[in-house]
Amino acid sequence: MNVRPLDPRLLRYAVSARWFLATGAVLGVATTASILAFAWLITKCITGAIEGQSLGDLLPFIGMLAAVALLRALLVYAQDLVAARGAARVKSELRLGVLDAVRRLGPAFLAEKNSARVATLLGRGMDALDDYFSKYLPQLILTVIVTPIVVLVVLLSDWLSAVFILVTLPLIPIFMILIGWATQAVQRRQWTVLGDLSSGFVDTLGGLATLKIFGRESRQVKRMRSITTFYRIETMRVLRVSFLSSFALELAASLSVALVAVSIGLRLVDGSLGLTVGLFVLLLAPEAFLPLRQVGANFHAAAEGVAAAEDAFTILDDARSLPAVESQTATDARGVSAGVLSVDHVTVDYGAGAVAAPVTAEFRPHELTVIAGPSGTGKSSLLAAILGFAPFSGSVRFANRPVPCSADERGWLAWTGQRPSLSVGTVSENVALGSDAVDHGLVRRALDLAAAPEIDPDLAVGVAGAGLSGGQAQRVALARAIYRTLDRRSAVLLLDEPTSALDHGTEARLLDGLRIVAESGVAVIVVSHRQAVINRADALVSLSSRTVVAA
Amino acid sequence: MSADQSVRRDVRSILRTALPVTPGGALGVLFGIFAALCTVALLATSAYLITRAAEQPPILYLSMAVVGVRAFALGRAFFRYLERLASHDAAFRQLESVRVDLLRRLIPLAPDGLGRSRRGSLLSSLVSDVDELQNLPLRVVQPLMTSLGVAAIAVWVVALLSPTAAVGLAIALVAAFLGGTVIAARLAASAERAIAPRRAALLDAVLDYLSNLDVLIAYGAEKAGRRRVEAADIALTRALTARSAGVGIAAGALSLFSGLAVAWSLVAGIPALGTGDGHLTGPGLAVIVLIPLAVFEIVASVPLAASAWRQVRSSAERIARVAPADVPRELPIGGGTAAILPVTAAPVLQLSQVAATWPGASEPSLIIENLRVDAGERILIEGMSGAGKTTLAHILVRFLEFDGEYLLAGQNVRDLPLDQVRRVVGLCEQVPYLFDESIRQNLLFARDTATDVELTAVLDRVGLGEWVRERGGLDARVGERGALVSGGQAQRIALARALLRDFPVIVLDEPTANVETDLAGRLMADLLDATSEDGRTVLVISHADIADALVDRRIRISDGVLENSAAL
Repeated sequence: MNVRPLDPRLLRYAVSARWFLATGAVLGVATTASILAFAWLITKCITGAIEGQSLGDLLPFIGMLAAVALLRALLVYAQDLVAARGAARVKSELRLGVLDAVRRLGPAFLAEKNSARVATLLGRGMDALDDYFSKYLPQLILTVIVTPIVVLVVLLSDWLSAVFILVTLPLIPIFMILIGWATQAVQRRQWTVLGDLSSGFVDTLGGLATLKIFGRESRQVKRMRSITTFYRIETMRVLRVSFLSSFALELAASLSVALVAVSIGLRLVDGSLGLTVGLFVLLLAPEAFLPLRQVGANFHAAAEGVAAAEDAFTILDDARSLPAVESQTATDARGVSAGVLSVDHVTVDYGAGAVAAPVTAEFRPHELTVIAGPSGTGKSSLLAAILGFAPFSGSVRFANRPVPCSADERGWLAWTGQRPSLSVGTVSENVALGSDAVDHGLVRRALDLAAAPEIDPDLAVGVAGAGLSGGQAQRVALARAIYRTLDRRSAVLLLDEPTSALDHGTEARLLDGLRIVAESGVAVIVVSHRQAVINRADALVSLSSRTVVAA
Repeated sequence: MSADQSVRRDVRSILRTALPVTPGGALGVLFGIFAALCTVALLATSAYLITRAAEQPPILYLSMAVVGVRAFALGRAFFRYLERLASHDAAFRQLESVRVDLLRRLIPLAPDGLGRSRRGSLLSSLVSDVDELQNLPLRVVQPLMTSLGVAAIAVWVVALLSPTAAVGLAIALVAAFLGGTVIAARLAASAERAIAPRRAALLDAVLDYLSNLDVLIAYGAEKAGRRRVEAADIALTRALTARSAGVGIAAGALSLFSGLAVAWSLVAGIPALGTGDGHLTGPGLAVIVLIPLAVFEIVASVPLAASAWRQVRSSAERIARVAPADVPRELPIGGGTAAILPVTAAPVLQLSQVAATWPGASEPSLIIENLRVDAGERILIEGMSGAGKTTLAHILVRFLEFDGEYLLAGQNVRDLPLDQVRRVVGLCEQVPYLFDESIRQNLLFARDTATDVELTAVLDRVGLGEWVRERGGLDARVGERGALVSGGQAQRIALARALLRDFPVIVLDEPTANVETDLAGRLMADLLDATSEDGRTVLVISHADIADALVDRRIRISDGVLENSAAL
């Protein structure tokens, strides 16, 4: 696994991480001091007692020992506190940073990346950073501070023991890398097996109803059992090898302590070393290894967090590499309350060639224009071009002025896509989206025009439109667009398949409503292939794969 | 029994399944204790070796200690390795029973007992909860048993040298155990209760913002959307920071008790040193002072075990809520035992005075006064979404229990085993489930004796022959949850499965609901055409209009009531 110990982008994108590292370093220095003091005081008390000092003589030192123990406990507590706060702040910073980056990258980016994936990254993915901050990073800081100082103190006390430590210390990372390298292929296969098993289980649970329809449920139980057994055997084969890395780590650490102890013991016998130095060094030797062992033990947990952070960094990097948006104030068409929308040889091109044949058409106020054509002829792409959500060639002009590609102010345009895309809140709040204040009379009127007189404006809408049926959600979304044309005097109302979830009666009432909107001077554009809609059109734009006829 | 009691009972039974009481599991604990004992013994023997050596005895007297130091150093790594292997093997064995157990629980519940919305995310979180159960033996029981075993042995060894020191060590250990489990658990639990809803609120806000980003931008409302996310984020971060005050208490307390135990050992040991009745030697003092240090290093895993336990328990609770052992009474259990003996003269389906309720709903979602379907009839069930059309489909295939009478070819369905009813009545679901396998595998499970020629023939019949050939034949994969297949193709594959299974009665539930509208008419015609042979009975459920020529009869469901029908 190729994981850098600390990604510099973390410091760039999350300012709190710097604070976290600095505080961690201060705590690390204090921890080192308390480790040294603790070892020295224990040595002092034991050797003093052996030399014949009484409890009374040594009591001050024991008192100091208890005080250092308290200090050490406070430092442990502070370290956890700093880690937890640091993690919370860094997560929050990255989360909002990614959100803004996604906003800059736009809906086209999300469509490609899958918004549920990004949401998971911002939720559970960020939580994977908890272990990174609470277990891995503090130990990494301690490795950098405690280990060198402890080794230095041992070196000054007894150079031979320091040599033992210095020889075995590098063995730990070397062994871990070597074994990791040797088991990489096996581990990759293991991940595949693991993934297969897990997705197989999800697949079985997801398809349980289907399995029941075909009377296969009990056979699946047997199959599950045999797959899991296979998985266990495979996994254990891998674990036998991959546990070797922690075996090497433990072995190096404990053998080194053993070597130090035996060497000190033998030198004490011939009198070439004093007990004080010997005991002091024995107590310090394990402390030199402890942080490194912890880093090794938490390496995998940390790698998961790093992977999540890396996904976040990729999005942040993408957004950084975008050119700065030039302001498009000249083309702000907010004040215009009516005008012709014209598209001239418009074709969407994401960089891999035109998506569909170029379209030329005009959409006039007071008219209901229907865009029809089989799927795949670029209906939705044309809308994306008009909305400025997709790069296109050709020109889109409203009231004889060019419409910017990435307009922030689209007051002249009201739109609803194929998905209702309702937010959590009441129906009113959804209908009045983008307005500073909810005009309840206008909400009522918009709902009526959208053939939704029966929907209560105070009804609560849950995540992804929960609480409404498909047809109701569609009509609330339509009312939202109609509200905007009424409230902002938008000149163009753009609707993508507005009647796909509606029955014929409701469809007819909606078309009546759209007629009223058009008559008030709005250019109403409806993408639909339903005959009932086409029959009510003032103008029809038929798209086909080759040629485009504007009638 | 109250709902809470039955959840608690389910939680206990789930946890029992997750905990291996096998020789492998016991061996794991044993190796763990050996490894931990080696750690303690390594430090104790080293201290003994050094302090004894300082007395400059003949080197022979030290050789045992030298061998001991080396042996314990090797032993620690060695036993730790064995412990890991044994305990992981035992945990994986248990995973097997846990998964199978869950599957058995879910079978009677699927699909209608699993909630009607967000079923996908519910199931995937269920899978991660099941994986979490592995931590019960590995991260909860193993470290707790090891710590307890080592602590007991250490207290005993210290007691041999100095009973007074042993009492102090025992008190410190008990305090550490209590602090690490009970107090930390109480602190964390109250903080976690505050955090869970905020975390959920943040996720909802993020999902809301991201999935509606295009609309938010088009309406100039993305700033307001971001403010909502930000507010949720601030609330969560504040709760997390508040919790952080409690996080380190257990670890800090452990460190403090370890230091105090060392100090106490000195206070207890020093006066006994060299005096006649105490018998405590210099090396003995070193041993009783350093043992607490090493023991507390092992006991440090107790707070982690406690927090792992909280997670395991809440996973078990979630599983118990989603998959209760008691099947809700709205779902059929078991069915009857009678053999299928169709009465040829009787209508194939006859329902009278039937009412069915979804689990958790207060009122029936469909009432049928009378429905009679004769063999070979083709019927359209129409109505608005939410009117109760899917309820009818689920009554017919016995996914939902009902009040009233339902005769299948003259026999009361309650007398028939569920799988026998499902041999006669088949359902093509609104969202057909395709397994992440090849097209062949997705068809074969309907009839595993089918040859490739039969499979190709049935694919031709549902209008997919050309499409499958273009994709390289029956081995083409359909992707995760049929991701590589469009909604219409999925419906065709589902119908092909139903035709292979040769259900005499096929119910098509909204086959065009997830199909682009301009393709829907063609798909509906193709599907009905494919079922037109061999006098099969077909019920099509749809909110869309269907040409009169395609069906014999229309039945309307509105607001949960099936309106009485008449032949055209």
